[in-house]
Amino acid sequence: MAHIPDGFLSVPVMAGSATASVAALALAVRRTRRHLEEREAPVLGAATAFVFAAQMLNFPLGAGTSAHLLGGVLVGVILGPWAGMLVMFAVLLVQALLFQDGGIGALGANTLNMAVFGVGGGVLVYRWLLALLGVGLRRRVAAGAAAAFASTMLVGIAAAVELALSGTVPIGPALVAVGGGHVLMGVGEGVITGAILQMVLRGRPELVSGVPEPSRSGRVLAWGFAVAAVVLAVVAGYGASSRPDTLERAIDRLGIARLETSYLTAPFSDYSAPVGGAWLAALVGLVVVFVVAWVVSRLFLRRSPPP
Amino acid sequence: MSFRHLDQYATVPSPMTRTLPTARVLAVVVVAVGTATLPLGAWRHLAVLAAIVVGLVAAAKLPARAVVTRLAGPFVFILLASAALLVLVPGEPLWHMGPVGISKAGVERFGFVLGRASVALTAAVILVSTTSFPELLHALRQLRLPAVVITALGLGYRLLYLLVDEIERLQRAARSRNAAGGAARRRHVLVGIGASAMARAFARGERTHSAMLARGFAGDLPSLTPRHWDLRSSLLLVALSGAVAAVTVAAHLEF
Amino acid sequence: MSLLDVAALEFHYPDGTPALAGVSFVVDRGERVALLGPTGSGKSTVLQHLNGLLVPTAGAVRIDGTLLGAEFLREARRMVGLVFQDPNDQLFLPTLIEDVAFGPLNDGVPADAARRRAEAILEELGLHGFGQRAAHHLSGGERRLAALATVLVSRPALLVLDEPTGDLDARSRRRLVQLLQGREETLLVATHDLEVAGALCDRGIVLYDGAVVADRPLRDLLADLPFLERHGLAAPLAR
Repeated sequence: MAHIPDGFLSVPVMAGSATASVAALALAVRRTRRHLEEREAPVLGAATAFVFAAQMLNFPLGAGTSAHLLGGVLVGVILGPWAGMLVMFAVLLVQALLFQDGGIGALGANTLNMAVFGVGGGVLVYRWLLALLGVGLRRRVAAGAAAAFASTMLVGIAAAVELALSGTVPIGPALVAVGGGHVLMGVGEGVITGAILQMVLRGRPELVSGVPEPSRSGRVLAWGFAVAAVVLAVVAGYGASSRPDTLERAIDRLGIARLETSYLTAPFSDYSAPVGGAWLAALVGLVVVFVVAWVVSRLFLRRSPPP
Repeated sequence: MSFRHLDQYATVPSPMTRTLPTARVLAVVVVAVGTATLPLGAWRHLAVLAAIVVGLVAAAKLPARAVVTRLAGPFVFILLASAALLVLVPGEPLWHMGPVGISKAGVERFGFVLGRASVALTAAVILVSTTSFPELLHALRQLRLPAVVITALGLGYRLLYLLVDEIERLQRAARSRNAAGGAARRRHVLVGIGASAMARAFARGERTHSAMLARGFAGDLPSLTPRHWDLRSSLLLVALSGAVAAVTVAAHLEF
Repeated sequence: MSLLDVAALEFHYPDGTPALAGVSFVVDRGERVALLGPTGSGKSTVLQHLNGLLVPTAGAVRIDGTLLGAEFLREARRMVGLVFQDPNDQLFLPTLIEDVAFGPLNDGVPADAARRRAEAILEELGLHGFGQRAAHHLSGGERRLAALATVLVSRPALLVLDEPTGDLDARSRRRLVQLLQGREETLLVATHDLEVAGALCDRGIVLYDGAVVADRPLRDLLADLPFLERHGLAAPLAR
């Protein structure tokens, strides 16, 4: 039980994330039609069943908490990101409709988080790491595990942002509560993904969809990207810690609800944001993600000819 | 969370089950979305939608006990999630203990979000209680969802049951072998089971593939003729959509 | 012209393990043949060559005179109905009626006609009204009948069965055997259960280590106990 239920998101966020998801899935359908052969149908079914079963398992973490698997990176690495997205969407759809795990109205947001960011983002990180490290078996496993952790964090952060943009919870507490929980889940996800990926690569390597070999310049760029990301993270972290309401001011400037962090002072104004702000934020976020993805795939990976 | 209840839908024939599955799916989606998009504080409108949902439950002739049982689990989850709002939403504190305070705005928000979520949840429960998985799949197909999604769910359904059966068998075997063992050992066994399960899932997928080829499979799952739209289903959908839309839009306009 | 002509069939697995070392036999229309042999003798491997699921490394399979190759595959799969060892492998759709209609639909039969044919064959096999059920709600015997239905619906000329009575209890086994006895299709049954073979078939081909070691009237074969024992087939246990 970890998908966003109905009633927690605002209309613009629901609509914005739904639009973004539909666009991503439509692209996924286009991409899979080119490669889908009759050989793959049972693998789709097996992957769907596996994700379903995996998400039903609860792993006790101790101290009364438990985490559960998402399975996004596993599915993305084995089936490829596009088919993986569609399989994850299929699972989320049935979970929402028949299991009440995740709201029906919130399906757009949950799909965006877990299918698009979780699978697509996860595979992106995986390929980026392979460009950094090389494609030996141990490196693939490590890359898969790390990507699984990153993917889980992405899902958590996205969910927190959506809740905050909806005015349901202020961004600070949202990030801490939702994001924090996902750190624990991410560790579990990483470990299990790594273990299963290792078994699959050892036993049935032909099942894993091929990753194009990165070119030399691609590897250089991947490292450059990594360094830049670290620098950015340090700067941002320093900036955020010394100016705690920076995030709030940024959200404010986009024209979204004014959120207060103080409990004791000004009366809280209910959700009064102009509708445009949250839509815009969602769309901007999605455009950024797609631009980054396009850049990464163009720069880091030399396209290998189809077998 | 058991998935075996997937097949135990209420087989009581009712005005709901006589409608087209596609209509039921759309109706529930409309109600859920309409409820979820109510602006905070629109209590009267929420009450109207709640009444509509109760009406649907009655029309589906669902025993109250069954509905409550289905609702219980997810309800607890949204209860806990909304409870977080009690302390996280800033405003005039009604009560506080140290740095943590519950504000009036927090209580209102908690109540409304909980109410909104519960009504939407009940609508979803109506769907699962009146519609079997194969019917749902036919509905999704009729709604033109991508072929990959239909194939994934169509084949995944049986594979899921078979997979869970195999996992249970593996677990039983492991239990009888490992009388003692701490958490680390259990995790090790779990990973081993996971690996075997995955290997068997793929082996079964291969054999299924052979069986599909032997019966002429060429890429897309064929389908039997879907049921056609009838008057009752169309009426249900149109009337319901109209009512829900009216309520939700009114709620937005009045604020 | 024989319905099935298997000529010098050889097969190696991708890793080089030999499975079949030159298997040859012929089956004519109307015959009922038992393919006998212990586990690992290559029975399933032979069967999977009969509808092109496996391609031989040497030798050829001819169905009704036509060589089994890429172009003839669709037609061949309609003429040769293979029932797998595990019925779960053949029941992969949410409801039985969808499973049974799968073959005809793929062959281009219109949806309504396919449904009618599916319902008819389910009725014929005693599974009336089971159409909306999911396979995991069936008993073992019912599942085997359902798997049989998915193949019979396409009206194959040659019905090939791989261990049809595998895990069945006595009553289900009898029911299945009686049902098969009453059918008109040419039969090729791979089994290690000599009782079932004796009840269904007139002729026996014995497979051992990937080669045919006997091809005789079944009555003779079943009476030759030393031969059966030498080739790993269940003879009555000594007290």
